[in-house]
Amino acid sequence: MTAPENRVIPASNFTRFLEAIMAEQPVIGPRERPDQPGFYRFGRLARAEDFAPDYGTTTVPPKKTFAALREKLFSFTLDSPPELDLHFDSSPFVLLGIHPCDLSGIDALDHAYSQPPAEVRWTANRRRASLIGLDCRPDSYCFCTQVGTESNRNPCDLFLTPMEDGYLVEVHSDAGAALLEKADTRKAGEEDEAAAEQWRREKAAGIVPEFDAPVEKIADILEVGGLTPVWKETADRCYSCGSCNTTCPTCFCFDMVDDIEPDLSGGARYRTWDSCQLLDFALVASGHNFRGERWQRVRHRWQRKFLYLYRQFDRPYCTGCGRCSRACTADINLVDVANRLIAAAQKEA
Amino acid sequence: MIHFKKKPRVAFFDFACCEGCQLSVLEMEEKLLDLLSHVEVVEWREVMSEKSDEYDIAFCEGSITRKRDVERIQSIRERAETLVSLGACASISCHNALKNRWPMKEVVEMVYGDSGGHIDTIPARPVSDVVPVDYQIRGCPVSLPEFETVFKHILTGQSYDPPNQPVCVECKLNDTLCVYEKGMVCLGPVTRCGCNAVCTAYGDACQGCRGLIDEANTEAPARVLFREDLHPIMAEVARKNPLTRKEILAKFTVYNDTSEPDEEEESSDDNA
Repeated sequence: MTAPENRVIPASNFTRFLEAIMAEQPVIGPRERPDQPGFYRFGRLARAEDFAPDYGTTTVPPKKTFAALREKLFSFTLDSPPELDLHFDSSPFVLLGIHPCDLSGIDALDHAYSQPPAEVRWTANRRRASLIGLDCRPDSYCFCTQVGTESNRNPCDLFLTPMEDGYLVEVHSDAGAALLEKADTRKAGEEDEAAAEQWRREKAAGIVPEFDAPVEKIADILEVGGLTPVWKETADRCYSCGSCNTTCPTCFCFDMVDDIEPDLSGGARYRTWDSCQLLDFALVASGHNFRGERWQRVRHRWQRKFLYLYRQFDRPYCTGCGRCSRACTADINLVDVANRLIAAAQKEA
Repeated sequence: MIHFKKKPRVAFFDFACCEGCQLSVLEMEEKLLDLLSHVEVVEWREVMSEKSDEYDIAFCEGSITRKRDVERIQSIRERAETLVSLGACASISCHNALKNRWPMKEVVEMVYGDSGGHIDTIPARPVSDVVPVDYQIRGCPVSLPEFETVFKHILTGQSYDPPNQPVCVECKLNDTLCVYEKGMVCLGPVTRCGCNAVCTAYGDACQGCRGLIDEANTEAPARVLFREDLHPIMAEVARKNPLTRKEILAKFTVYNDTSEPDEEEESSDDNA
């Protein structure tokens, strides 16, 4: 498609726009948690007013919409041979309010899961969804500018930049253009574009954590070695609780478990998110644990994010969303550790 | 569909505990009827008056805290093909282990003064310290979904490993807000899950009732909370919870007192 011009949707029209979409398909977006004001999570909006455009961040990223945190893969009977029933939902929905970093997370998983053999469930769920991105204000854990995701639009269909009254709307796909036909918009003028540009400048200026080396260099640093003291020092207070993985928008490891119905007639196989930081993650049948030491697991996470997957997919598998650092009850901050690695490597050189 | 030639006979027994886990199981209500349709219940004190010395599956609740408990659990072990430790008291000793820090004589005096001469008490132990246990259901009280899972594993002849992951994993899988974000201290990062993180789902902190995960980093809280350069969330946690190192350790010991039972004291306790 040719790049269409940007549009402006005033706030009152936006509510009507949402209602028009919701009349046809479910809309999943950031909502305030019940009884926990100021904290948000992605969930189905019951009313257009449920949409919380000012949400800072969520505990779990919106990838859970495409690969549920606990997902039924298929059910089976306990007959021989068993009868299998695969559950595939094909109904469309809209995922609303995705920040540029989280769009980048979805993009990262689109790449990872499309490697042969493609992950059919992710692909099928992705096909169901239209994505509406939303620009944001950083908190003190965000570092999107350090990994280059602050202005990412891929793979959204529409992208909203908040303005004084409503949003500047960028159209990024034909599906987005079709969706926007439900809205009463006007052509964006120079002033509107300037306001959106101002938003982006302020956002970038609000980022606090900074890598002491360009992110592309971190892969080389990790390969140099001599970093064990940093890993061990970090591991000293790491709980190996896995929250850095289970909140990460780009982590894709999972575990599977079967559950039997109480009447013993059959059961189902479920997939849940897993974490390479957990003690038993690399435990194999013989009893050997490939990463039995806590510091080896800590090292593995940085190597996955900035070395292995960086080399494989030509991008860091980190979106700068800061969720891992927020979620860490040991206060291990991804950027701090990266900077200690950078410093250790410089000393080594 | 699985059919049993003969329904396995099930019995529930209790040792030192509040019997709350047995009562919890009853709260499964109609689901319990489904599960029990596969078995014959022959003894269950909270539910029925009948007793039996013949059973295939024994659910044993409570800690072993008396010499006659040792004999009783050994006799149950001999009769039952499958033995399950039910709940925190049976699986990790729970609060019962707190008494193990003192000599048993002092413990009896603390509670009964000089009229405790007849009390037969030994350091509290989980069932698995005395006899082999086939299945373990942790928690104070047990989690009903996990009870159901283990019950089904027994019926279908599968082994069951109690989850060795921290509660944080289940919190995240439930998309529950971390209580640390609200400035609270929680034992979730070192405590075994399997409870479906129910306390945190209701906004409370984890108290550690399912016991520590293997290789739990119990040194970490002190290493974190006393740091000078904390980021905002943990800085707020540290500010709101000015704990001493001793207080941090005390939090771990409510359910997880690892004080070793005093063997010498056990053998000298002959006045029962």
